Amino acid sequence: MLQTSNGNMNQSQVENKRSMLTPEQSAELKQWLIAVALKRDKKSFALLFKSFAPKIKSFGFKQFNSEALANDLLQETMSLVWRKAHLYNADKGAVTTWVYTIMRNLSFDMLRKMQTNKEDCLSDDIWPIVDAHAADVDTEEFADHLLKQQLAKYADALPEAQKQVVRGVYFNELTQEELAQQLNIPLGTVKSRLRLALGKLRQQIEENS
Amino acid sequence: MIKHHPKHELLAAFVAGELPAALNIAISAHVELCDECQQAITLLTQAKADEVFSIEDESVFNNVEVDLDDDFEDLMIAQITSQKGDYVDEEPTVCTVEYAGKQVNLPRALNSVNWAKFQGVGKLSRARLDLDEGTVRSYLLQIGAGGSVPMHTHKGYEVTVLLDGSFEDEMCSYSKGDFIWLDQSFTHSPVSNDGCLCLTVADDAPVFTQGLSKLLNPIGRFIY
Ligand SMILES: [Zn+2]
Repeated sequence: MLQTSNGNMNQSQVENKRSMLTPEQSAELKQWLIAVALKRDKKSFALLFKSFAPKIKSFGFKQFNSEALANDLLQETMSLVWRKAHLYNADKGAVTTWVYTIMRNLSFDMLRKMQTNKEDCLSDDIWPIVDAHAADVDTEEFADHLLKQQLAKYADALPEAQKQVVRGVYFNELTQEELAQQLNIPLGTVKSRLRLALGKLRQQIEENS
Repeated sequence: MIKHHPKHELLAAFVAGELPAALNIAISAHVELCDECQQAITLLTQAKADEVFSIEDESVFNNVEVDLDDDFEDLMIAQITSQKGDYVDEEPTVCTVEYAGKQVNLPRALNSVNWAKFQGVGKLSRARLDLDEGTVRSYLLQIGAGGSVPMHTHKGYEVTVLLDGSFEDEMCSYSKGDFIWLDQSFTHSPVSNDGCLCLTVADDAPVFTQGLSKLLNPIGRFIY
């Protein structure tokens, strides 16, 4: 079980047992990650960090049999969680699954570095994280993906407030209601920011094509 | 139509990151083409993540401080959050290889892998992947139209992923995307009428079993 927001792992619970996350805990993790994605919220990140840290260290220690390397894995994994949060797509899976793939990939590359003379990083091509269908150049999904990439490029030039709503709706796939709640602003504001942002984006895409 | 898939245990080990790179690449190459296994991978990954993140048994830390001390932890958090959250997911390039006069797209899993030059004997031509994994060796293998591989068996396992074209052996015919796992209990002699491109992984040189073919043993070592 992951720690919840109110904190400490109850020592008496730390025994040979497993328990899955409750739906509430999963929702909480998702909320924190989305807050990092949209607002680079450091507090939410710290909560995510404290939830995952003991498990990542434990996983790393089993892989490398070294506390120092387990700490490296923790730092690298959580760094990517921070830097990639805006790419997390809640529709494609739980936060735990997303963090697991990041951790597994890093750990594979680290192990490979230790066991061979190779410095190659194969993992992200073996287990693509965000979109697995790069080869299906013809599929709609891929066209969608390209459009998203284009959109992402242009969206970066938007003012921060508009960028947040575009990312929330198109990348994290939140509804406008969820987004309003998440950003703690009225629904009407979300709608008007989105309208403004889309106007600008359309203009830019037209100018560039 | 893909008919041959990695078995469940193999997919589970793939998801857990427990296999050598060459096998991971072979499985990934199949999964990229196979919706069925993609779905299986999604479920297995979810299950594995639940397992890893729900273990309450911290006994692994018998000799290790379980909890990072707070200062250390806070320092790490501060260090991480001082970075920009600007990760851009680059569109992966699609690598191709020329074979039978055409360009064929290679699986994404090969994007960061180098391989030696193709070297041929008769209708067979192969290039060894530079993965540096000891006895586990992998190749891109081309069989020209009408080409065949002499009857052989394996000391360990042999995996073939068909990337393009088709071939037959005594048991089946295979088409693009098929993932074929053989171990020492099988012997086979693949024949490709129209030519094909494969990715092969073997953990030991195959042993040729039939009369004349024994003379071809050096070819066996050449192919796998
Ligand atoms: Zn399959």
